[in-house]
Amino acid sequence: MHIERDQELLHGLAANDDKSLETIYLENFPMIAKMVMQNNGSEDDAKDIFQEAMIVLYEKVQEGGFVLSSRLKTFLYAVCRRLWLKKLQSSALNGPIFEELEETTAAEDALEAHLERDQQFRQMEEAMGKIGEPCKTILEDYYIHRQSMQEIAERFGYTNAENAKNQKYKCLMRLKKLFFAPYK
Amino acid sequence: MNDIHLIQEIERYLDGEMSAPEKEAFESLRRRDSAIDRQVTEHRLLLQQLRANGMRKDLLRRMEAIHAKAEVPVITPAKTPVVQMRNRRTWLNVAAAASIALITSLATMAIMQNNAKRSYTSKYEDVRRVLNNIQRSQNALIRDINSKNNPPLNPGTYGGTCFAISRNGYMVTNYHVIAGADSIYIQNNKGEAFKAVSIFEDVSSDLAVLRVADSGFRTSPLPYSLKLHPSRLGQEVFSMGFPRDEIVFGMGYISAQTGFNGDTLAYQVSIPVNPGNSGAPLLDNSGEVIGIITGKQSSSDGIAFAVKSGHLKRLLDELPKEKFNRKDLKQKSQLNGLNRVDQAKKLEEFVYMVKVYN
Repeated sequence: MHIERDQELLHGLAANDDKSLETIYLENFPMIAKMVMQNNGSEDDAKDIFQEAMIVLYEKVQEGGFVLSSRLKTFLYAVCRRLWLKKLQSSALNGPIFEELEETTAAEDALEAHLERDQQFRQMEEAMGKIGEPCKTILEDYYIHRQSMQEIAERFGYTNAENAKNQKYKCLMRLKKLFFAPYK
Repeated sequence: MNDIHLIQEIERYLDGEMSAPEKEAFESLRRRDSAIDRQVTEHRLLLQQLRANGMRKDLLRRMEAIHAKAEVPVITPAKTPVVQMRNRRTWLNVAAAASIALITSLATMAIMQNNAKRSYTSKYEDVRRVLNNIQRSQNALIRDINSKNNPPLNPGTYGGTCFAISRNGYMVTNYHVIAGADSIYIQNNKGEAFKAVSIFEDVSSDLAVLRVADSGFRTSPLPYSLKLHPSRLGQEVFSMGFPRDEIVFGMGYISAQTGFNGDTLAYQVSIPVNPGNSGAPLLDNSGEVIGIITGKQSSSDGIAFAVKSGHLKRLLDELPKEKFNRKDLKQKSQLNGLNRVDQAKKLEEFVYMVKVYN
């Protein structure tokens, strides 16, 4: 029963349905906030941890093939607890060590994949930060917001779409060089 | 201009905008020219990542909007920070699990103690015999520092070598190095000394695991990994140890698959070793640890013995999981492909002198 409803919510999340996102968020955040705040965390910590866990979940369902083996609540709780534990350890608060440490393999696997994606995310952010304007906006408008070349040309004052397109390719080549630089 | 043309073609190809013959031509071009093939893959990866970034940021924006509506529970910070159980059923489950765990561990402890008592005498004789053997024909590589003419103020009684197996201060050495120790100190090549305690000893393989007493101890990531498959005859190997107060490098090759008296847990290695080398890591060309130097044959030159790394692996599997991070040793060896000088330089930092006082 619960699992079916959870699956439905996940489908909604994958399809960028705002209502599903809101339901998942509002239903689960209080639980996580409670867990973090009872373990030396602030409300802001709780928000950061929970949103990171949501990113883990979101990118996992985006990838496809994510099968929920437990309740969504349990999954999110396990991921958040791992994240919070890690944060406590890294900030060397020497604070609380959680008493029970049963292994939640699904959460563990998801987090391992998340680390790698996080690294790539930062690398892309860095590269995008380096290419500067107007490149950044042109690429974002075209590839992420899927605006047409015509709209972009008008907005940036190019005489025609063809010119804007050439500019876009030049920007993309620069981005590519920057993004792949650490690999070479 | 040419690059732009290519990138345009790649984009059309990936977006599926090409006509069938165009696509075919492009695909055959891709097959023929590996540079173009790579460009296509890179382009796809790049756009994937670009879009993933966009989506993640969009998600964060949407969550930010939702967050205003979220209710935050009011909590007075708990004194004893323990995760609160959420409902009765969880409590019941945990209670059941805990009692099973308790019974199991009590039973195990009882059995272990019983066994230990029963086998202690025979094991002890075993050790004696092995030690006698070593004294007779296989000089244990313990350096008797007392035999020096002018001993320093507080010399260690025995010395050996150990090396790191995790980033938080777990080390492996030989059992015979630390046997009967009152206190153990380890010292790196820079002269920094740390107090260590023996936390695990395996007499039969002559291995022991030490832990640096300072819980804040951290090293940089280990450059080597543990080789699990047996190495073959003739494999070139090298080692670093402390037969003197200075780290000493030595190299040789595996000369037999078994150790002293046909011991299948060990290799026979042709490598110069001296008292003090006990517990030194033995690495192959690609920088994987294949064994631990334990002793040498006194009747002939250049014959040393090393415990195989597979046995060390079994030992490490028995260490408590939460303290000892197995992943530290599972990284890909960073020594692979380096020349010997660089390998030695990197390894040096992780090899320590063991000083035993008793």
